[in-house]
Formats: sequence, structure tokens, C-alpha cells
Amino acid sequence: MTAISSATDQVPETEPLVGRPDVNRKRMARLGWGFTAPSLIVIGAVTIFPIVYSVVLSLSNATVSGNGVSLNGFTGSNYSLVLSSPKWHYALGFTIIYTLVTVLIELALGTLIALVLERLTGGRGLMMALLLIPWSMITVINAELWGYIYQGTYGVADAILNAVGLGHPNILGTPTPAIIGLMIADIWKTTPFVAILVLAGLVMLPGDIYEAAEVDGSSGWSTFWRITVPLLRPTLALAVMFRVLQAFGLFDLPYVLTNGGPGTATTSLAILGYNVIFKNLSFGPGAAVATTTALLVLLGCLLSLRTFRVQVGKED
Amino acid sequence: MRNRKRTGWRRYINGINISAFFVVLFVGLPLYWLIASSFKTPANLGNSPPQYFPNPISLGNYTDAFKNNDFGQYFINSLIVTLIATALVLVLGTMAGYALGRLPMKGKFTLMVTLLIISVFPAIAVIAPLYLLLRNLGWLNTYQGLIIPYTAFNLPFAIWILRNYMLGIPKEMEETGRIDGAGPFRTLWTIILPMALPGIFTAGIFCFTACWTEFLMALTFMSANNRRTIPVGIAEFGTVFTVPYGTIFAASVVAVVPIGILVFIFRKFVISGLTSGAVKG
Repeated sequence: MTAISSATDQVPETEPLVGRPDVNRKRMARLGWGFTAPSLIVIGAVTIFPIVYSVVLSLSNATVSGNGVSLNGFTGSNYSLVLSSPKWHYALGFTIIYTLVTVLIELALGTLIALVLERLTGGRGLMMALLLIPWSMITVINAELWGYIYQGTYGVADAILNAVGLGHPNILGTPTPAIIGLMIADIWKTTPFVAILVLAGLVMLPGDIYEAAEVDGSSGWSTFWRITVPLLRPTLALAVMFRVLQAFGLFDLPYVLTNGGPGTATTSLAILGYNVIFKNLSFGPGAAVATTTALLVLLGCLLSLRTFRVQVGKED
Repeated sequence: MRNRKRTGWRRYINGINISAFFVVLFVGLPLYWLIASSFKTPANLGNSPPQYFPNPISLGNYTDAFKNNDFGQYFINSLIVTLIATALVLVLGTMAGYALGRLPMKGKFTLMVTLLIISVFPAIAVIAPLYLLLRNLGWLNTYQGLIIPYTAFNLPFAIWILRNYMLGIPKEMEETGRIDGAGPFRTLWTIILPMALPGIFTAGIFCFTACWTEFLMALTFMSANNRRTIPVGIAEFGTVFTVPYGTIFAASVVAVVPIGILVFIFRKFVISGLTSGAVKG
């Protein structure tokens, strides 16, 4: 530690650095890149390089054998194969609908919960802690738990549905109920997280605006839509952006709960990509699935960036 | 508030508290079901209608998870991978966060946005090439084969949290250090670091949670039984024919409790991390 600091520390110790701003600025910038370099190297090696390699794989006739992968030249056939495949069409549609439905419900329910918690006089800290438990829970455990709840003969959901006169529907064995069941498990795990985010945004809103609204005789409903929602927009936009991007990579929950089934009813893009790569060992088409998914995520990210840029720009 | 005049327990009956009660039920009931089921005997787990309170209370599932299955080994694997990856993320992330938050570097904005995009990239996008890369290195089923990807995938978000935290530290603090003749490393170590401790904590908890719960990479890179982490181990407890829910739930409770306690104690840091300008679920 001392060796490094004395090597970089070439400005005389007694001289205040404000005296030579330009030299100092350059030196500090170099130091900044030095501090950032180790992180960038690790991130580059494990994320950027594989992303590029994935694109290369997706554009080649890759074959995998015991001693590695051989690319066998350029081709566009993986993409035409994927883009014309009904399985990919279904997975894309399923992932989009799943993302839209879960994120919308999570946002609505999460906002509702946040509004309740904001008005709660006691025990808010404990409520927050309770809400953080589903967030910190391993998704695989969430999947197993709901698998037990939905189980066809002894699951508690089955007992409840039977008690209200719906008989014994085979929840995980029928496409639509399986999709709904998957969404409920996701909503249970993620709504509390959205609630905490929205609550944090609510707490930071200026109180005097609400007093003014009250004086003007604004009703609770119109105060919510005309004041709270517009003021919360940055928070909500951020929450939606991250939830959408995360939901688009949906893998753990359907992999364990339904294994993509029944049939291919809950096969998301990530499950499809995984199966093509590691079950069929088709690295080329699999990489094409992965790359198209990544491109869609990137597109979503760039579209959301306009909203987000305001947030980043403020501090830069 | 309308019910302020009510006395005794009745004064707690109002719309807000009733709604809060339903929130507790919504979050708590599935959690109760997980914990209660872990204490049921294997026979009672299959009762129809279900047993709403475990009777008798049995610890059989817990001994089964540790003695007849390798859950102890999975727990140790998870702990090793998670702790080392978190430590690496914090060391590298603090340095980068300091530089990006406080040093005059050109292209900072582009770099931060790139990091943000990487931090939300789905793991499926890199899983095939990473798998081939790790296989060539002979790193499949090794700790470093999971630690390094975890470090890389959690670094961008940690850098974001730490950089936002560093921005809030007053400039005068390090100027005092520099006038005293402290080098940049010593300034970071003795002046900035203690002040950034809450931010480091927050980043640490997020990284710990992310590594502890990660599934896809662990499933792909650590398939050997003695290298499985908790999520993979729990997912693979079942066979095609039977799912031993008792064992799964006992293991789940053991896996949820440490992180539950951690999150409960440090909830302030978690919440401040969620609101520090960068959000991730």
C-alpha cells in the first residue's frame, strides 16, 4: 500500500494542489482509470467478451465435440431457423405477455401496499422487514413452495378451489392455469419489492403540496392521480424498467415449477435458449435465441434510457 | 384517524390497519406454509385436506436434508462462493465507485450507462460462451468458475451504489487529506472508506443476496453433486417420480433464515440501496 502510494504521489507534499489545476486534473484522471481498470477487466472478460462470442456463435455452423467447439464458417441460417420457428414465436409471445401482466399487477398492488404502509402509524419497520423476505428468497424455493401449494391431490390451492366448488382442476397440468399459477408465484415474490420502492418514493414527496391540495378541496382520489402519480413518475419508471428487463430473462421459476410445461406452455425465451443449447447441444441456434433475447433487452433499455437519463444527468 | 375516540383494542380497528393486516396475510401465509410444512412428517405432507398446523411437529425433514442428502455440502459451497464473490465485488467496486464518483475522468457518463445496461443483461445471453470458456480453462465444477462470473455480474450494480454514495461525501474531506500529504490510496483508505461504510454495506448485502439466490449459472457450471450450491441442490432433490417436499422445505428454511436475519438487521441499508438512484430486483 505505501509503495504504491509513494510511486503515484509525485506532487510535493507541502504544495496545495489547487496551485496547478491542469496537471493535477490529468493526474487524478489517470488515477481514476487506474482505480476503475480492475473492475472493467473483470466485467469485460466475463460479460463483454462472451456477448461478442455469442454473436459469433450465432453466426456460424458451430459444432461441439469432446475437445471443444468448431465454428465451421459464417452462416445466417441460425437466425432464419430461429425466427421462423413456431417455438420461438410462442416463447416470445409468452415472455412478452407474462412480463406485461406481472409487471402491471405488481405495480398496481405494490403502489396500493405502499399507500397503506405510508399511512401506517406503528410497526412500519417490521412491515418493511417482512416485505424484504420474499425479495431475498431464493427463486427456486419460491417455485418449490408454490409447486406444493398447486399440487394436484394434496396442495392447499386444490383444497381451497374444491371448497369453493371449482372441483379439482389440474393446475400445473393445464396450460392457462399453469401460466396463471406461475404469475401468482412471481407476483407474490416481487410485489413487496415494488411496494418498498414506491414507499421510498412516497416518503420523499414534499408535504406542503398535499396541504395545498387539501385547502383547495381536492378529493383523495384526484389528489392521488393528479399529484402523487406525476410526482412519483421517476420512481415508477425506474421500477418498471428494471422489472421489465428482469422479467424478460425469466428462467428459474418456470424451470423448477413447470419445467416449461405442460407441453411448451410456460417456455420462456430463456428456457428455450437453455434447452436448445444444453439439451439439444445446438450451440449455434441456441446462441441465436440468446442473442435475439439480449437485443430485445438492449432495445428496451435504450427506450427506457430517456426517462432514466434525467436521473443520471442530474448528478453528473 | 376517524376512530381516535375508540378505546381499548377497538381503537386499532381502522381501514389502514385492516389493509395492513391483509398485506401481512398476503406476504406471510405462503411463508407460514413453507415453515409449517418443513415440520410435518412425510406422511402428513401428503394429507388431503392439508394439515394446517403440523402435528406432530417433526424434525425428521431437517435430519434428512443434512444426513441423507448433501445439503450441508451445498450450504458450504454456497457460503464459499457467495462470501468470496462479495468480498471481491466490494474491493473492486469501492475503488471504481470512488474513481467514478469523485475523480475527474472523461467518458464517465458513457461508462456508467454501459455498466447499467450490463447489470440488467439476462444471464442467458452469455451462458453458452461462458460455459465453453470455463470448459476450456478446466474450470467447470470449480469454485473460481462460479466466483469470477458472480463477481463480474454483480460489480456493475455495486459500482452504481458506491458511486452514488461517494458523490454525497463532502469534497473538503479528501482535500484535508491531501493537504496533510496523504497519497490517493491512503486518502481512500483512511478518509473516504469510513465515510462510505453504509454504502459498502448496502452493496455488500445486495451482492450477497444475488449470489446466494443465483440459479442459471450455478446449474450450468457446477453440475457435480459435491459442487452444487443451495438453489441447484434444492432444485435437484426431487426425481421424476417423487418430490420430497419435506426435505426441500427443511433445506429451504435453513437457506432462508440466514439471509432473512441479515436483511432484517440491515433493512435500513437495503432500503437505502433500493432508493440510491439505482434499482434492481
